[in-house]
Amino acid sequence: MELFETPLPGVGVRYEFTAEGGDHVGVVVRRDGKRDIALYDREDPDSCRGTIELSEGDASKVAELLGGTNITARLEELKHNVEGLAIEWVTMPDGGGLVGKTIGDGRIRTETSASVVAVIRGEAAIPGPEPTFSLAPGDTVLVMGSATAVRQATQILTG
Amino acid sequence: MTSWAVPTLGMPLPMAAAGNTGDVLIELGVILIVLALLGRLAARIGIPSIPLYLLAGLLMGDGGIIPVAAGEEFLEIGAQIGVVLLLLLLGLEYSPQDLRDGMKSNWRAGLLDLVANGVPGFAVGLILGWSITASLLLGGVTYISSSGIIARLLDDFDRMANRETPVILSLLVMEDIVMAIFLPLMAVLLVGATLAQGAIAAAVAIGLVAIAFLVSMRFSTHVNKMVHSHSRELLLLGVLGLTFLVAGLAEAVQVSAAVGAFLLGLTLSGQVADDVRGLLPPLRDVFGGLFFVFFGIGIDPRDLLPVLLPAIGLAIVTAVTKISTGIWAASRAGIGPKGQWRTGLSLVPRGEFSIVIAGLGVAAGAQVQLGPLAAAYVLILAFAGSILMRFADRIPSPLKAARPVKQVGREPGS
Repeated sequence: MELFETPLPGVGVRYEFTAEGGDHVGVVVRRDGKRDIALYDREDPDSCRGTIELSEGDASKVAELLGGTNITARLEELKHNVEGLAIEWVTMPDGGGLVGKTIGDGRIRTETSASVVAVIRGEAAIPGPEPTFSLAPGDTVLVMGSATAVRQATQILTG
Repeated sequence: MTSWAVPTLGMPLPMAAAGNTGDVLIELGVILIVLALLGRLAARIGIPSIPLYLLAGLLMGDGGIIPVAAGEEFLEIGAQIGVVLLLLLLGLEYSPQDLRDGMKSNWRAGLLDLVANGVPGFAVGLILGWSITASLLLGGVTYISSSGIIARLLDDFDRMANRETPVILSLLVMEDIVMAIFLPLMAVLLVGATLAQGAIAAAVAIGLVAIAFLVSMRFSTHVNKMVHSHSRELLLLGVLGLTFLVAGLAEAVQVSAAVGAFLLGLTLSGQVADDVRGLLPPLRDVFGGLFFVFFGIGIDPRDLLPVLLPAIGLAIVTAVTKISTGIWAASRAGIGPKGQWRTGLSLVPRGEFSIVIAGLGVAAGAQVQLGPLAAAYVLILAFAGSILMRFADRIPSPLKAARPVKQVGREPGS
């Protein structure tokens, strides 16, 4: 799916895409966090057949219903707010790296200054895992730190 | 207590002060209630509130039905605050990024917009025998679309996601940029400087804006820290204090408070800008309402009659030129004929900034007819423009006929 992005000066950003079924869909993300979802008219592709206005809360509920996890969105927000701070989701490979070892074994903090903030295993999130926490294939590890540190930490984790 | 209140109200007689304070409050109460009722009415029938406020002002004061005398001084200050807030938020409306992008990609459409819509006003001013400065002001009045009305109506009519909407918004951005040059230039011309002196002053003003831009981008975190606060009260106090200070200083050096506030708005960015945009609009709407009423109060409705013909003529001509500008800009952006038509019609409303520009001239005594003419003009195009916007899809477009689309419709029948 190709997503087109158009800035709307003074309002926000508009994203549009064509769904597999052929419907042309637009999403306006407003500066104040409100979202509009619009369905474009097939006869007059510049106008909308209808729009749905969603508050920030509505939008994250709809996102959940549609199968997205809003934790990503929130972290994205965090990323934007704090300059110089990088956040990376690292999915553990089937083998190599720190798979089968503990977080402490990687000496990530000492070597790179990045921190392992959380591990997500299946449906469960483990915030602030202990150094003795043992990583398994498929775990998603949330690493935070400077851009370089995060890159190095990713290297250690995935091997 | 009384001795403190007297000079503020400008009352020479201490005896009358107590009664007068009551009168002022009563009058102000009546005006605000009238505005509240008109605002509800406007929302009910789906038109912008600005022309109704203006109309209410015309019906008050000199030559009107409701006399306003006691509160006029407060109203004047309230109106001044309204202008300052209107322009602060106009300056804040677009991020520096928006302005940069707008300048890069839309300058052609922006130039056409300026020429096609500014020249008719300027020419009519000259034909009426006005001075160059007053004519330039009238050109500004006919040039600038009302971003307030247009943005509100685009939202109301669910057209924010439409593909032609970025074209409309980017034209409004260009007008914002033009204002940054036009307003300081006019402010200087109004104090009696020559065109050359005005140009130099405008260049200086633009230079200052550029420097302020750089400073605000480089040091935005520092500015944020200074003004930012999690308490809305402290934030509001900080922002209003800064705004009035800058506006007052600008007025003191003869650049007009409105211009000062506008330039401040342009330079604020980042978190502070977001906070202010969330906080100030209700305040702007209240004081802005007072400004429109005050502008109307200053005009005797009987003065409208002699300028009615030029106002109607200008309204028709500049409605057509705005529509053409929109169609041209939209066609360049690859928008279909229906969308081009909607773009054109959406740019017609004139409103708050036309009144602000005319208000600059009225305050400086540039031309007595400027106020009535601008009022009549804005009344016509604020109403007509919002109606055109509302029924844009139902008004037959001359563009459709020019396209061979019709043949596609005929084929199945034949």
